[in-house]
Amino acid sequence: MAAVQETVERVKEIDVDQYKYGFFTDIESVKAPKGLNEDIVRFISAKKHEPEWLLKWRLEAFRRWQTMQEPEWANVHYPKIDFQDLYYYSAPKSTEGPKSLAEVDPELLATYAKLGIPLKEQEVLAGVKGAPRVAVDAVFDSVSVVTTFKEELSKAGVIFCSISEAVKNHPDLVQKYLGSVVPATDNFYATLNSAVFSDGSFVYVPEGVRCPMELSTYFRINAEQTGQFERTLIIADKGSYVSYLEGCTAPMRDENQLHAAVVELVALEDAEIKYSTVQNWYPGDKNGKGGIYNFVTKRGDCRGDRSKISWTQVETGSAITWKYPSCILRGNGSRGEFYSIAISNGYQQVDSGTKMIHLGKDTSSRIISKGIAAGRSNNTYRGLVSAHRKATNARNFTVCDSLLIGDKCGAHTVPYIEAKNASATFEHEATTSKISDDQLFYCLSRGLSEEEAVALIVNGFVRDVLQQLPMEFMAETQKLISISLEGSVG
Amino acid sequence: MDLSVQQFRSKAEQDYLDLYTKAEKALPGAGNPFVAALRADAIKAYGRLGLPHRRIEAWKYTDLRARIDEVHPLVTALGIPVSDEALEAALGSAIAAFPAYRIVIVEGELRVDLSDMSGLREAGVEVSSLSHLLEMPPEWLKAALGQVNPREDDAVLALNTALMTGGVALRLPEGLTLGKPIHLVHLDGTGEAASTFTRNVIAAEAGASATVLESYGSLGMTGLQRNAVTEIKIGDKAAINHIKIQREAPETIHLNVWLAALGADARYNGFQLSTGAALARNQVYVAFNGEGSSADISGACLGRDRQHCDTTLVVEHRVPACDSRELFKVVLDDEARGIFQGKVIVSPDAQKTDGKQMAQALLLSETAEFDSKPELEIFADDVVCGHGATSGQIDEDLLFYLESRGLPEPEARAMLIQAFVGEAFEVVDDEALREAFNAASAAWLGVEAG
Repeated sequence: MAAVQETVERVKEIDVDQYKYGFFTDIESVKAPKGLNEDIVRFISAKKHEPEWLLKWRLEAFRRWQTMQEPEWANVHYPKIDFQDLYYYSAPKSTEGPKSLAEVDPELLATYAKLGIPLKEQEVLAGVKGAPRVAVDAVFDSVSVVTTFKEELSKAGVIFCSISEAVKNHPDLVQKYLGSVVPATDNFYATLNSAVFSDGSFVYVPEGVRCPMELSTYFRINAEQTGQFERTLIIADKGSYVSYLEGCTAPMRDENQLHAAVVELVALEDAEIKYSTVQNWYPGDKNGKGGIYNFVTKRGDCRGDRSKISWTQVETGSAITWKYPSCILRGNGSRGEFYSIAISNGYQQVDSGTKMIHLGKDTSSRIISKGIAAGRSNNTYRGLVSAHRKATNARNFTVCDSLLIGDKCGAHTVPYIEAKNASATFEHEATTSKISDDQLFYCLSRGLSEEEAVALIVNGFVRDVLQQLPMEFMAETQKLISISLEGSVG
Repeated sequence: MDLSVQQFRSKAEQDYLDLYTKAEKALPGAGNPFVAALRADAIKAYGRLGLPHRRIEAWKYTDLRARIDEVHPLVTALGIPVSDEALEAALGSAIAAFPAYRIVIVEGELRVDLSDMSGLREAGVEVSSLSHLLEMPPEWLKAALGQVNPREDDAVLALNTALMTGGVALRLPEGLTLGKPIHLVHLDGTGEAASTFTRNVIAAEAGASATVLESYGSLGMTGLQRNAVTEIKIGDKAAINHIKIQREAPETIHLNVWLAALGADARYNGFQLSTGAALARNQVYVAFNGEGSSADISGACLGRDRQHCDTTLVVEHRVPACDSRELFKVVLDDEARGIFQGKVIVSPDAQKTDGKQMAQALLLSETAEFDSKPELEIFADDVVCGHGATSGQIDEDLLFYLESRGLPEPEARAMLIQAFVGEAFEVVDDEALREAFNAASAAWLGVEAG
């Protein structure tokens, strides 16, 4: 029983009832004044030395945003957010354009080291032989502090930098694709993001290039009363491939902090983008106080024929999660995938799922969603699969399974299935159940504690999705799942 | 400063309010304070809700505000002659001749002359026209009317309560097992386009069992706007089969609500077959109030031309150890649109719930559309719940198999469609009814029943 032993050991390593990324780095930061108005939008734009067109774009979004109302359809409940009581820009003071790693504030490096994110290239290079190398873009509050492996990537022609840098160095690419997947007027939070987005990652993989390493962005909210609004744009040109991973953490605080990001993916002909997320924002304490509001718009556009976009997400953090990574299957023969593990414990609320919009011929999509609700949490899968008139031979296969741990939590499934084409074949199935007593008894009789047994069974339940994660994050995720479920038994 | 917002009302929305204002004094039970209060509350609720539109989640796919331009007046012509031939033409021979206690409701008027009230009374059933009972409602009716499975948020139901004119009130006494089904025939009239609001109330006391068949057909009116509600209270250990066949004229708007509530160890088998009407919205609300009960709500919808058929279910497991099953089959041709929304709610106390739901659609033409939303809302952990939904066209392999056995293509197709739909008929216990449904689906396909 090697697997069992492994899990037991892993569970042992975990501190009880601790969000281990909950520390706060005391670092001097520059903030824009509190509140939101046109001046703040202009301030952010000026701070980043943005061209006129982008400022105009932001202002248009801001004006539009003022006319919009917060969406209320999701199955989440929280007090109204006072958008004037937030800081919209916060940057570590010392990092005004570091030229190299050596210039990065050691405090920052220490922070990332504490988070287990390797920002020092040489360390990785000198590491264990065969250890996978990952290029990292680290975003700290509102700005990108450092991007590693830039040089090596640029040899392959891959552009990987912060979006601010991309605006400066590759304005034509940014202008062409920014807002082309998630328009500035898309929804309340996306529009807000368009007005005030501060930083995020930009990736361009040129024609025919297979990106030589995993790309990764690590988001960290640090400052108090700050909203984080990052924007990520990934473009995979014809026949290229890129795998991208994002991770996120935040300090433990009593207040709720807002995170409203936008992610846009564009896959041209025969290109493939694999986007993985391990979302571990601070979920609030065991009484439901504090935690991040994670209101995110993520969308991929399979623009070219035979392109493919695959979303994999592991959602364990945030007080409230509201996100629907989607695929627009525009190109003929394009393919969309969505693999999700959403775990909620304590007072967490998750309303997450995906949209697969079949527009092109012979498009196919696959959705595997595993929701686990424990404690007093509510976990909702909400998804749309639609085939339009011209989407002949569209195919979709959906499985969404929910697991309930404890009798105070809720698991909900709200799928929308819309077939406007007779040749579309859609299959959807969903189940909800609890951990079977037989499985639990088996584990207990083998000497596992109840908590260990639950962690083991849950890891089995989510295996289909775990396998989709890049190797090096699989183990990490298994551990994360165990942590997330702590205190859910008994 | 007055900050009250003037709500925009569409013409039809206002028409319904006017309809009520005009008819209020003449409605059955207008002189009875209980009934008058019930109606007044209902029209107030409607005024607040307005006509459902697509921004209201439960009506996302069926926008009544867009579909109803104007509201026709309430029917006034009473006592129109209905011949046996006309009845047969309206319902189809199998259903018209179906051996049952027949009660005929024409344009909202319960027609004693066409109904077998005495037979039912002899069998021990308390039966009356609802409009008659509303003048002085007995206690059992007060306890049932609008109380079986109350819905606060349903504008169609609120309108019905405000304007209900006809229908039947049935009470099955304790332990009664009815040997023959009760057949409630609902017909339109022959005159100008009209609106009708019928309401049936059925109370099955503990241990009673019966089959209730509701049929809806047309005598020749063009543009009927029907709003029909059936409330059915199922006592402990009672068992009710509740079946509906709807084949109204192609211009009809058919809005139907079933409200059912089950006591302990009770059984409810609901089934609906829809082939008629331009727009049909079938809503079924089922609530489990007693442990150890089970419900099966199934149905089939056959649509063509530009028909719009919407089935919306809400099953509420409020107590432990109940089972629910749903199986819906939808066949769509031409530009027809089919909708299935099924919601299963499991309350925190409803442990040991077993809920299964399946909706399947067969699309016969490029321009047909099927939308489904099978929802699970679960707050208890010791449950087994699942749902499935599929949509597709006729399996080419199966078709090829049949053709290779010498069947001409149209026949092979019809056979496959019948087999697809027929699966849903299986839940109907009564063999004669099953046969009638097979005949109805065959007639729809234009083939001999086989």
